[in-house]
Amino acid sequence: MAAETRTGDDLIRLEGIHKWFGDLHVLRGVDLRMTQRDVMVIIGPSGSGKSTLLRCVNMLAEPTLGKVWFEGRDITDIRTNLDEVRTHIGIVFQAFNLFPHMTALRNVTLALENVLKLGGSEARARAMEQLARVGMDNKALSYPGELSGGQQQRVAIARALAMEPRMMLFDEVTSALDPELVGEVLEVMIRLAGEGMTMMVVTHEMGFAREVGTRMLFMDEGLVVEQGEPREMYYHPQTERLRQFLAKVL
Amino acid sequence: MAAPQIKAATGLHREPPPDTRGTSSPVSATALWLGIVALALVLGGLLVVQLNFALSDRSLTDFCIEVGLPEDITGALGVCNIVEALRSDAMTGFLYGGMALGIAGTALGFGTYRRMDTVRRREQAVTGALLGIMAVQIAVVLLVFRAGRPDLFAKHFLNFTVLEPYFMGPFLNAMKNTIVLALVGEVGGIVIGLILAMLVLSKRRAARAPARVYINFFRGTPLIWQLAAFYFLLLFGFEVRLRAFTVAMIVFALNTGAYAAEVFRAGIQSIERGQIEAARSLGMTYGQAMRFAIVPQAVRRVIPPLMNEFVILIKDTALVIVLGLLLSEHELFQWARAGVSDTFNATFYTATALGYLAITLPAIYLVNRVEERLRSGLVGITGAGH
Repeated sequence: MAAETRTGDDLIRLEGIHKWFGDLHVLRGVDLRMTQRDVMVIIGPSGSGKSTLLRCVNMLAEPTLGKVWFEGRDITDIRTNLDEVRTHIGIVFQAFNLFPHMTALRNVTLALENVLKLGGSEARARAMEQLARVGMDNKALSYPGELSGGQQQRVAIARALAMEPRMMLFDEVTSALDPELVGEVLEVMIRLAGEGMTMMVVTHEMGFAREVGTRMLFMDEGLVVEQGEPREMYYHPQTERLRQFLAKVL
Repeated sequence: MAAPQIKAATGLHREPPPDTRGTSSPVSATALWLGIVALALVLGGLLVVQLNFALSDRSLTDFCIEVGLPEDITGALGVCNIVEALRSDAMTGFLYGGMALGIAGTALGFGTYRRMDTVRRREQAVTGALLGIMAVQIAVVLLVFRAGRPDLFAKHFLNFTVLEPYFMGPFLNAMKNTIVLALVGEVGGIVIGLILAMLVLSKRRAARAPARVYINFFRGTPLIWQLAAFYFLLLFGFEVRLRAFTVAMIVFALNTGAYAAEVFRAGIQSIERGQIEAARSLGMTYGQAMRFAIVPQAVRRVIPPLMNEFVILIKDTALVIVLGLLLSEHELFQWARAGVSDTFNATFYTATALGYLAITLPAIYLVNRVEERLRSGLVGITGAGH
């Protein structure tokens, strides 16, 4: 595992991240670094700041204080072209957020054509390839409303992957799914991790966190309380708070 | 025992539901028919009697001449027929007959509906009572009306003969002008409104503030004042001489733009936050996210309110009367006023109302159809996932 982290190898580095929503202090000084092929799982009770932290990585949430480096570039610098940075960081949301007025295929090709400026046929070919990767190529012409939650989420993953990102963010992507649909989405994520994709995953799926994660972060009240190797943390929690959390979710 | 046919677990079972409203009963059916016949007597009677008087060969009655409808008044015979039809014994019979049946239907329906033991029976009883009330109300209004001076009202508002020299050509032209004014105003307003909505939604106060001022000004002052002020502002202030018709189209667009901006703003704000986040996270600029993801969805949602604005604008075009248009530019209201001042007869206003209805009713019908379709389409939009 890429446990050896030198600053130059960091794909992502967060330093002293604070975030306020109004007078609500949701992140209270978080440091974090990830290298290539890391699968970092973030767990913690709701309201602990997991999702906000993840959204700071692609600046959907701008840190009030602190810096975010992506491939050595300070992307909290106001001069950074965030639109360009975001093409390298895929994100999948809890609520899928597919564009409901477009087919699955068009959802995927839209950014390929308008952001990456690929030609129509090239964009379509790449989109179909990614839809096939998540097993959704046979539903390419369906609208999101015609798909199940699990299918929508797989299209959303394909949409992000088609940009050929350097890393992927997953924000509680199975939380909105009916239990019988969780498996098909997790399966795609497990395969992706196996292929070496760098991933940051906010999740409540403890089994996935334990088996697929290369590193685990336990957050509570806006702080990283404990971090380490997932199995180790799972079976031998060091802090009382993690012990309590694990006792509740299991 | 034959096993029931079991469909695939994933398949949707589609078959029309059974009729569970139950059967009718003599009492409930009687109440319903009393109501129907009562209303038919009043409304149908009015129509039949009026048509009978209008179509049969008649001459001015002594009564008409006595109340001031001598032969030398244009359309005296037509007005006389309307009045005499109202006063006729046949009309009296229809009105009192309808009233009697209506009261009976109402009493029977309201008296029994609580005891009805099927949905169909209860609905029949209540419907009969409602129709009965309607019949009584209309009959009473007509009785009171004909006891007053129906001849004066008919002479001034229902003397369609006076319209003849002004009709069809000029009237249709006026309808066309009304539609042109409203349509140009609406289309221009939509363009202005979309731009204003974008400004109002900006996170920068310097962009929001001027748009707000514009919107509040045009929403906060009377349209009739805007028409006059803008016309003279151009004429005196800028020494730009535009046709009043052109000025009116511009002002309607400016005014509609302010209202459309609020409609678009609400529409855009109603799109879930996740949509713009998804677009931006794919590297789209704010503009691209708006253009591809947000505005297309928002536009669907605002079509009904925008069409409602259009219906309102159709009627507001009447306000161009303050500018005074060329004869060929007359819209419905000015057509009427010109006619009234020529003939001193207000039947033109009646015709104008019918002209507006001829335009607005199809538009209202269209809005309702579109709304219905969008509502049913929403199932497909929000998805089965949640």
